[in-house]
Amino acid sequence: MKRVIFLSLLVAVFVFSGFTTVYAAGKVLHIYEAFDTEEAKYYIDAFEKETGIDVVFVRMSSGEVLARVEAEAANPQATVWHAGSNTSHINAASKGLLEPYKPKTSFPLSDSLHAKDWAWTGFYSGAIGFVSNTNILKKKGANAPTSWDDLLNPAFSKNVAMAYPYTSGTAYTTYATLIQMHGLEKTLDWWEKFDKQSILQYTKSGTGCIPMAGLGEVAVGIAFSHDILAKGVNKGYPVVMTFPKEGTGYEIGGLSLIKGGPEPELGKQFIDWCFTKKAQNLFQKYNRLPVNPEATVGKGSVTLDQVKLIDYDHIWAGQNKGEMIKAWRDRIGK
Amino acid sequence: MTEANRKRQEIIGNLRLIWKEPLLLVFIIAIFYFLLIFVLFPLFMVFKTSLIVDKQFDLSNYLAIFSKRYYFQPFINSMILGVLAATAGTILGFVFAYAITRTPIPFKRFFRMTATFPIISPPFVVALAAILLFGRAGSLTPFLSRIIGEYSIYGLGGLVLVETIAYGPIAFLVLYGVLQAIDPALEEAAMDLGASRARVFATVTLPLSIPGIASAWLLVFIESMADFGNPMILSGNFRVLSVQAFLQITGMYDISRGSTLAILLLVPTVTAFFIQKYWVARKSYVTVTGQPTGATIQRLEWYIKLPTYAACFFFTGVVFLFYGMVIWGSFQKLWGVDATLTLHNYVEMFQVGKGYIFDSLKVSTWATPITGLLGMFIAFLVIRKKFIGRTTMEFVSMLTFAVPGTVVGIGYILAFNQKSALFPFVLTGTAWIIVTLLIFRNMPVGIRAGIAALQQIDPSIEEASTDLGADSSKTFRKITLPMIAPAFFSGLAFSFVKAMTAISAIIFVVSGDWNLITVAILGFVDNSQYAQAAAMSLLLIVIVLIALSIIQLLVGRIGKGARTVSIVN
Repeated sequence: MKRVIFLSLLVAVFVFSGFTTVYAAGKVLHIYEAFDTEEAKYYIDAFEKETGIDVVFVRMSSGEVLARVEAEAANPQATVWHAGSNTSHINAASKGLLEPYKPKTSFPLSDSLHAKDWAWTGFYSGAIGFVSNTNILKKKGANAPTSWDDLLNPAFSKNVAMAYPYTSGTAYTTYATLIQMHGLEKTLDWWEKFDKQSILQYTKSGTGCIPMAGLGEVAVGIAFSHDILAKGVNKGYPVVMTFPKEGTGYEIGGLSLIKGGPEPELGKQFIDWCFTKKAQNLFQKYNRLPVNPEATVGKGSVTLDQVKLIDYDHIWAGQNKGEMIKAWRDRIGK
Repeated sequence: MTEANRKRQEIIGNLRLIWKEPLLLVFIIAIFYFLLIFVLFPLFMVFKTSLIVDKQFDLSNYLAIFSKRYYFQPFINSMILGVLAATAGTILGFVFAYAITRTPIPFKRFFRMTATFPIISPPFVVALAAILLFGRAGSLTPFLSRIIGEYSIYGLGGLVLVETIAYGPIAFLVLYGVLQAIDPALEEAAMDLGASRARVFATVTLPLSIPGIASAWLLVFIESMADFGNPMILSGNFRVLSVQAFLQITGMYDISRGSTLAILLLVPTVTAFFIQKYWVARKSYVTVTGQPTGATIQRLEWYIKLPTYAACFFFTGVVFLFYGMVIWGSFQKLWGVDATLTLHNYVEMFQVGKGYIFDSLKVSTWATPITGLLGMFIAFLVIRKKFIGRTTMEFVSMLTFAVPGTVVGIGYILAFNQKSALFPFVLTGTAWIIVTLLIFRNMPVGIRAGIAALQQIDPSIEEASTDLGADSSKTFRKITLPMIAPAFFSGLAFSFVKAMTAISAIIFVVSGDWNLITVAILGFVDNSQYAQAAAMSLLLIVIVLIALSIIQLLVGRIGKGARTVSIVN
């Protein structure tokens, strides 16, 4: 019995020593990160080196970030939400989870690159495109798709992958693009066919289909051009990138300050830094399109004036996401 | 004395016993408090959240689930997967256990080791290997598709395959224990009386092991239904509930409906747990008479030997193939495209994942001793002490085994992201939310180890030592400790393994300061960076193996020749 008491005291000491250390952490900037870990580290290391501020980040999809920020609203754990389609940022702003902040920039930010009240700002952009495996194209004797309807080509039967529109900003942008072009009903009719004929599987993350196409798991994937270049073409996968001739949608990468976050001053400093020429030049490595006009565009990158874009309404897409997703799930059943 | 009177007398007696040991009372209350906070409160929060929409009581979540195909289908899919994997896993486990306990198969130790190996690796490594082998760009795919035509590893078939490999070993461990406990003399007797081998099997061996088979089936059912890592990677269009609940929350930002899906997942697993614990476990026909006789039957017909041996060799081959593939894949430059061998993946893995590796090690090292000690203490209370609420304590602390990780994870973020009247600390974002989750999730392991340890000690042995002149401290050192230690340390070993390889609940509570290696691996897989994922999985397995050898060494030092305990119920 004595021993048992001794052991339990040990447990108690363990537990309480733990609780005290938790509250003795140093001052750092906490970021919720929607870039992939590797890419995020590339930017954040540069920021840390330049400013001497320590950053701690956790990588999640933009959907996960939003869920986390919402769950933690009573006690926010991070200050900055870095990257992810602005659609999710717009959604968060409409729930009052973000702190408006107008970043100090050396150039004027156009209206499409920020919320009216500056709850979020856009710091890069990129268009939706198709990524196709050249070996499979050759084997099937098909051309890389250059139109949305090419995706229904029997050669691509059960050979297309993309993310779930409800888990990925990329896939939702694709869906919202089609709705803005054809209206909801027509889009769902088309998608039903597309889902039955062509889709092999939906992935969780928007970029998941790129290596799938690269590996020949599928013939075609649908993703953002910068991701296709960075994760497909530049990695050495046998893939080509094409765009739909009818027009395509594009994303604006969002950046925002979380309401009630623990380090607002450091957070503002980070957001300002993201718009500097130096920071925007870093996008070359990952083929994202910078918004700072002085920054250099990455080699091979497709700028937004080289593809046919639709007049994509980000605000509409963000504000109607819940309803549009519900319609999609009700019809497609997935 | 009437029945009611006697009951009252007993309760008063128990109260008096407790009253004599006030410190014990304090500990009992403390443990109840911890169980309330860390086991029941999170569950309650999930339940509550599922019933509240826009801050009002609302049943619409439940109505939606039964009226929408995309919610209900995953439930059916999960059930199908659970049933198929449990059946396949149990058959596999039985064949293996039978071969090792009943046939003179060579290399028994070796077979036993390979059969249990998947338990110490993170479960989703099996899915990763399946993609490397059988994915469209897989190494065996060109060969296999020539034989069986075009197929897809993504979906039900692939999932049943990986779940069977990942959780079949649990069935093996259960059935190994059961078959070992059935005295071969019974079978010998039947044979001496003229029964054929098949008849002995059908009328003696099988009926005696039915409760064990049912137990194994239910355990594999629970595990594969609740599994998150494998379906996350491999489910394709075959959507299962654990993943859907996760996506509902992280993709749809809908915690309320995600909680509802989680509750839906909870129902079958907890039911299976109840059946296993309160019905099957009581029907055990095995009479424990002490040591098994160890006599194996040598008179074996070829038609028994051949298929059992073949099955053993085949499964062992599969295990080697799967894990060998992970090693092979981890050295390739660009998986599927450029097979040049390189160490680059390991370099990149360390650069990106150093923090994850240390975080995983830290939280597991903190959680493990607490899991072990707390488990031992609860086992001690439940077995040796009488107090009101004893069965409740046992039930609640074992319950965590049956609650799917997804539900626990959601519960923890809901319960600990703000201060509450019950618990005035915010745990979200700290290491402690991970550590407490690991402690209470793995506690059944600690308790099992504790119960096993205490059952090995007959109080009369300690009395004998005292009678021979040793004082109580010497008795504890020389008698009690060596007898408890092996079981205690095997419990520790297994909780460490579980902590290092946990994913389903953990994925909800990781944070910027504290992120874990399993989450990082899943991130690599999600990105189709299979080579890096393989490298990191391998590192994790190596760490676990090193930790296990250290513990094995300690056990060897302290308790010579003592048996290790079974690590599942």
